[in-house]
Amino acid sequence: MSWRDALVLAVKGVRRRPGRAVLTVLAVLLASALLTALLTISTTARTRVLDQLSSGGPLAGIKVAAAAPDPAQVNQDNPDVGAPKDLDGAALGRIRALRGVRQVIPVLSVRQYVVPPRGPGRRRTQPFIGSVVGVDLRHVGLLPITLEAGRLPVAGATTEVAVTDGYVERVGVTPTQRSRVLGTVVELAAGRLEDDGGHALVRGRWTKATVVGVVGQDAANGELLMSDRAVREAQAWIASGVNNSRVLGGPTSPYAGAYVVAHGIDAVPQVRREITSVGYSTSAPENLIASVRRYLRVVEIVLAAVGIIALVVAGLGIGNAMLAAVRERRREIGVLKAIGARDRDIYRVYLIEAGTLGFVGGLVGTFVGWGIAEAVGVVVNRYLTQQGLEGVRLGLPVPLLVGGIAGATVLALVAGTLPALRAARLPAREAVSGG
Amino acid sequence: MVGLRHRFESRAGDVTVLDGVDLHLDAGDHAALVGASGVGKTTLLSVLGGLESPQEGTVRVDDHDLAGMSRGELATFRRETVGFVFQHFGLLEALTAAENVELAGSLAGAAAGPRRRRAAELLEAVGLVDRARHRPLELSGGERQRLAIARALMNRPRLVLADEPTGNLDERSSTLVMGLLESLPAGHGCTLVVVTHDATIAARARRCFRLSGGRAIEEAIPV
Ligand SMILES: Nc1ncnc2c1ncn2[C@@H]1O[C@H](COP(=O)(O)OP(=O)(O)OP(=O)(O)O)[C@@H](O)[C@H]1O
Ligand SMILES: [Mg+2]
Repeated sequence: MSWRDALVLAVKGVRRRPGRAVLTVLAVLLASALLTALLTISTTARTRVLDQLSSGGPLAGIKVAAAAPDPAQVNQDNPDVGAPKDLDGAALGRIRALRGVRQVIPVLSVRQYVVPPRGPGRRRTQPFIGSVVGVDLRHVGLLPITLEAGRLPVAGATTEVAVTDGYVERVGVTPTQRSRVLGTVVELAAGRLEDDGGHALVRGRWTKATVVGVVGQDAANGELLMSDRAVREAQAWIASGVNNSRVLGGPTSPYAGAYVVAHGIDAVPQVRREITSVGYSTSAPENLIASVRRYLRVVEIVLAAVGIIALVVAGLGIGNAMLAAVRERRREIGVLKAIGARDRDIYRVYLIEAGTLGFVGGLVGTFVGWGIAEAVGVVVNRYLTQQGLEGVRLGLPVPLLVGGIAGATVLALVAGTLPALRAARLPAREAVSGG
Repeated sequence: MVGLRHRFESRAGDVTVLDGVDLHLDAGDHAALVGASGVGKTTLLSVLGGLESPQEGTVRVDDHDLAGMSRGELATFRRETVGFVFQHFGLLEALTAAENVELAGSLAGAAAGPRRRRAAELLEAVGLVDRARHRPLELSGGERQRLAIARALMNRPRLVLADEPTGNLDERSSTLVMGLLESLPAGHGCTLVVVTHDATIAARARRCFRLSGGRAIEEAIPV
């Protein structure tokens, strides 16, 4: 009997017991849907999320300090920093030109006199000298900055500020109620040293800024986060003083540091080595990367195991359904043999019948599973976008789809082997014996 | 066949069904096999058709010795040499009438075209052309029996074994079915063995054997 004839016979066999066929297929369908969904999600987590976090986000970020490197710093997360060393535009240019560097985001910082408003806190807050961190807010997604409440200042705005929990606590608000500081106005003053006919005089440049958000940030030390433009203007005011107002104790480095985004996590160690040879201190969350990676791998293994267990259960279902089919068709198998079917003809028909159940279940299930993964992706993306991060795109995992369908089919074939063998070994005598 | 002995062994006790059956048929013979119920007629027919291997004795059909055959060789023998008409028809419910007939051809590896033509020819011969697309459950007993005969003839067998082909049929259908079966030896030079309880059917055969006590005794044809 040809494969084609065997296939026709097998398909007719499946259709004979539509209820049982549907239930068996459904089990395979659910199992392969589960496996596909879990694998799509976890592979995406491993490759895309890690990749995007790393090539884009904080995981592949290297913090460059305005300081000389400590000789033993590479491969450590937070090394001791060497002596202060100015980080200027030229140095950033050299870093930007290094191999494996995707982007260099300068981080500015300026010390200002901060006058919190009356109001939100229970007690009146003393003014203090604080650091205002300035970055190009268009690249916030790449920086270790997380929005906790409100929104980020608009890029380039000079009258909007985001504050850290350090500031929130300083004004007497508990972090859980941090949104109470939103909408309040802070006064900031940059001091400049002036020569008033032989007398030294400090003149302040006063600005007001509205608190629009609360952030967690690790870009540089500082309680306030503003646009780079706002910080630059304050720096320019200070620098225009006598002897650059040096006497007031401000830092000399044009940049407080920089944030270097490497091309993927794997490039991080090499980029760090090169920045060290340029002559600056770096730090990167390499331990964190390694453990995130390990964690995602474990998640993947666990999810795959769950899916595979489901598939094996479905396979047992196929085996069971096929055994039942063989049992109730003993006479018919005998007749086939009596009219000349070889063992392998029967074997083929029943193997194909099992394979068909697996294939159909795998085909539908894999696509259903991919749909589930897509739906989960939408929810995840909504969250990521809310966090100011790039969304995760689920690629169509072609090898996974093909593998899912092939896997379900192979599983069904394996599960169908015993029933098919049993059918093939039935004697032709079955045609005339029994009821 | 010579010295045929066959015993069914089961936990409930062994049953010796055939106990030294000697039977010789010439090519083109038409033989009737009669005997009480449970005497072993179906068993003897299965042995002849290669469905059952006897514990003792030899079975020769043309120049095939069934005793020495492997499973595969027996399958080939059944496919190419024997046409079996079962007491219970043995039709596949999932297939249409035409597909049931074609199935025998497909097992023999016949190409689709000739297979279809041969099946159509046989359905025509048994008067079921207009029922070709119906399934066995949609056919009457007589129609099913005719269909089973058509299937048995698909591969032009040298030996046709029919187990009570008229058992469930009224007289008219019986005559029709027997007419079909009897037209064969003449047409193809093939041997026909018919198991029957019906004296009038047995009377149509050229030779008649009565099975009793595990042996086959040739009788005169009742008139
Ligand atoms: N698989 C088996 N195991 C044990 N005994 C069996 C088996 N098959 C048949 N027999 C016994 O063998 C004997 C002959 O059975 P067989 O079917 O050949 O009878 P038969 O002459 O065809 O009867 P009927 O006219 O009722 O069809 C019976 O007594 C039956 O019980
Ligand atoms: Mg019988």
